Amino acid sequence: MALGALALAALLAVSGTLFARRAKLLLDLVRLGKPVERFDDVPERVRNEAVIVLGQRKLLQRLVPGLIHAAIFWGFLVLFPTIVIAMIGAVSRDATLPWLGHQGWFALMVDAFAVLVLLGVIGAAAIRKIQRPARFEGSHLGEADLILALIAGIVTTLLLWHASRIALGLNEWPESWSPVSNALAGLFGDGGVTKVLERVFVWAHVLIILSFLAYLPHSKHLHIATAAFNVFFTRTRARGRLEPLRFDVPEEEMRFGAGTVPDLTWKQTLDTFSCTECGRCQDVCPAWATGKELSPKLLIMALRDQVFEEGPRLIRGEEGFEPSPLVPNAVTDNVVWDCVTCGACVRECPVSIEHVDHIIDLRRHLVMMDSSFPTESEQMLRDVERASNPWGKPQTERADWAAELGVRVLEPGDPAPEVLYWVGCAASFDERARTAAQSTAKLLKAAGVDFAILGPRESCTGDPARRMGNEYLFQAHAEQNVGTLNEAGVTKIVASCPHCFNTLGNEYSDFGGNYEVVHHTELLAELVRDGRLQPEADSRAITYHDSCYLARHNDVLADPRELVEAVGTPIEMERSGKRTFCCGAGGAHMWMEERGGLINEERAREAAETGAETLAVACPFCTVMLDDGVRARGDELRVVDVSTLLAESLDDQASDGASAQSAPPR
Amino acid sequence: MSVLVLVEPGEELSLQALSLARDLGDPLHAFSIGTPDELGAYGVHTVHVAQDERLAAYAPAAWAACLDQLVDRISATAVVAAGTNRGNEVLSHLAARRDVPFAANCIAVGSDGSVTRVRWGGSLLEEARIHADLKLLSVAPHMVEASTVNGGTAVVESFKPALGDAEFVVRVVEHAETPSAGVSLAEAKVVVSGGRGVGSADGFGMLEELAGLLDAAVGCSRVVTMAGWRPHTDQVGQTGTKVAPDLYIACGISGATQHIAGCKGAKKILAINSDAEAPILASADYAVIGDLAEIVPAITAELRKAQSP
Repeated sequence: MALGALALAALLAVSGTLFARRAKLLLDLVRLGKPVERFDDVPERVRNEAVIVLGQRKLLQRLVPGLIHAAIFWGFLVLFPTIVIAMIGAVSRDATLPWLGHQGWFALMVDAFAVLVLLGVIGAAAIRKIQRPARFEGSHLGEADLILALIAGIVTTLLLWHASRIALGLNEWPESWSPVSNALAGLFGDGGVTKVLERVFVWAHVLIILSFLAYLPHSKHLHIATAAFNVFFTRTRARGRLEPLRFDVPEEEMRFGAGTVPDLTWKQTLDTFSCTECGRCQDVCPAWATGKELSPKLLIMALRDQVFEEGPRLIRGEEGFEPSPLVPNAVTDNVVWDCVTCGACVRECPVSIEHVDHIIDLRRHLVMMDSSFPTESEQMLRDVERASNPWGKPQTERADWAAELGVRVLEPGDPAPEVLYWVGCAASFDERARTAAQSTAKLLKAAGVDFAILGPRESCTGDPARRMGNEYLFQAHAEQNVGTLNEAGVTKIVASCPHCFNTLGNEYSDFGGNYEVVHHTELLAELVRDGRLQPEADSRAITYHDSCYLARHNDVLADPRELVEAVGTPIEMERSGKRTFCCGAGGAHMWMEERGGLINEERAREAAETGAETLAVACPFCTVMLDDGVRARGDELRVVDVSTLLAESLDDQASDGASAQSAPPR
Repeated sequence: MSVLVLVEPGEELSLQALSLARDLGDPLHAFSIGTPDELGAYGVHTVHVAQDERLAAYAPAAWAACLDQLVDRISATAVVAAGTNRGNEVLSHLAARRDVPFAANCIAVGSDGSVTRVRWGGSLLEEARIHADLKLLSVAPHMVEASTVNGGTAVVESFKPALGDAEFVVRVVEHAETPSAGVSLAEAKVVVSGGRGVGSADGFGMLEELAGLLDAAVGCSRVVTMAGWRPHTDQVGQTGTKVAPDLYIACGISGATQHIAGCKGAKKILAINSDAEAPILASADYAVIGDLAEIVPAITAELRKAQSP
């Protein structure tokens, strides 16, 4: 027994030291990161931990792989005390953990969960070896296999150890409670061979666990150690909101995005450690799906590689060592600019990695420090700066769309309307998108809503500049617009453009602008519910395309669907709701040339395949992109904003009513 | 109160700069490279011509060094250049060398150092005052008329600047012409542009034929580049080239905002489109509604008839 205790102590010391040293390095690397506030909002963080980690909610978004992972994860939670029991058992054959080691119900749980884990491992191996989904492209597959083998080893030796103890009559728990171990006990006799095997199994079990402990933080799968922390420290505020950069701090504290490893925030470094390379993000990424260079998974992996390569040298403070630029060393320019900020990757990620924040920080550095960005977007930035809209149109023409509609334009000093209609640049200036603004205005008037527009005093919210990484230009516009809105006494805003809607509602509060912001589909749905607008549904099939910035970033899904249902017969696309597929315009891509396959045509294809005759949208950029996509493919699909469908439905009734009235009496 | 003006050889904008510089004081000195034009009519008293062949093909730091040395020689109180890329670059170098401010894109000056200058791409005029013993300013292009005065002939003095290798760190090593057949898109007086309605890469043949007759450049919309029918260099629009011809002929272009942003500088837009509802019609001065495959060849045929004697 003394020898066993010594051996165990030595093994624990070796394994523990290896683990601790590596853990210290990882912690130091994380602490190297720039500050970001992630200790606030603790109740929400605890809730996330319960739902996302314990409840495995994000993993279960994909049922089969999710259940497999959950079986292994929950199994290990239950089996945790068996590590201590096995260590006691290894040292002394006749000792066990007081109380728990004697409990029949616990033995039953151990048996059940050991089998579940084993089934999970087999399932995972089947996915990796037989199904081989594309999402694993570029992942480190060998290491994952090793981890699976170790897990299988841990539970197999556990079951065999229990079985051999039952065979020897050494079990402290009633064997009837552990049916699997009891059945396996039939394999063993009660002689000397089993006595030896019992020792072999318990020591093998302990050895594998300790090797696992030492190996884990060195492997690419250290998510087992970091994921729970990463989930805890994930964003708790609106998903569509970007963290503002501070320009009012001393120069040495100023941060212009991420240019090198030490520019990453500590959460971003933790993100890279948490990636399991599962590829769910890659699977849903519109850029990857259309053959572009960006894969959110490969991005995070590349950043992690650079953190591990340069981080330790930075910690040591190596003389003369300068960290190398992340672009193009870790990822190419194309990777950074391919992103449409649709957030599909972030929503999908089981360990709450925030890919879009990484992309935006890389862009911020490229734009503000290196002045390096797609040349074709330069004009947009200049037009936003000079003309307050991304197409350089004269501000005096901003309200032209409303000229014949009798919409009130809010002049300085006018009383604030109940609702301010924030039209946005696209719906103000774009010929195709204007129709939606005109429809919305007509509907608001018909329902008797007290509203007004800012006209020439409305300016670009700065969203395209911000998503391009030009934070400075964005903040200049944010401050100007907040000034205008606050001065006008605005309290409630309805926005046509989901990008404006997101910026006004989620981002302007960082600049002193606090308003109740709704999207036009939300307000119109409310008016229909209240009976202030009474459309009539007909039988034509309408498929609704969710805008990323409505559905995924802001949970606006039900209201636009209510409107579609009120005018026609809805039919869903395969990727809908929060799983929607971007139109290709997000992340300032409206003003970039697309490289590789075309996202809008891919989405148009999906819409056409539903057999619908109408493709309803709720965003001016989706309107333009999908209309282009439909035309390019030659599909017979009418791309139209939900508000226009609603207005047409009311117009039809009015004209029906009029013709009925004017019909001569028979 | 001597005023020194950088005169770029053969640059008309430099004559505008001279005209504005006269308001700053006299005598007016010019600095030039190579054989100078006759500048007496623009009020120039002395032209200093640099004798160093390394300067001829442009070297911003070296040009600035020349101005620096001339300022001391003639005790200049102001240095003026045309607001060209070169003029602004050279004055920036000079400002750094002498640690004085530089006001770019001025359109009016007073002898007291007050200036009016163009900001924000022309949307704003700023009144400012330069506080420095040596005032540096460039003149916004085409905002000041190049005017002559009744002056004599300018004295031409040769000037040998002291220049080290450091001044030639930035210099022209090669002069490459953009390989382009025909008229450049950005400068063409007529642009014949095609959109999705053209139908295919081959469809651009008739547009090229028409462009040939009109001495025009061929452009296209974003859809066309996306489809791979034409290279991106031909693209007119927000994310392509911005054009400002006298006549823009838009064939089968629907007129997305991104496209209009690139051709709104055209004096006249002629749209040829089968869709009478196409957004381009809102921006067009003239429109022909119909099949461009019939209309374009018809125009070409008429032009040929008119051009043949």
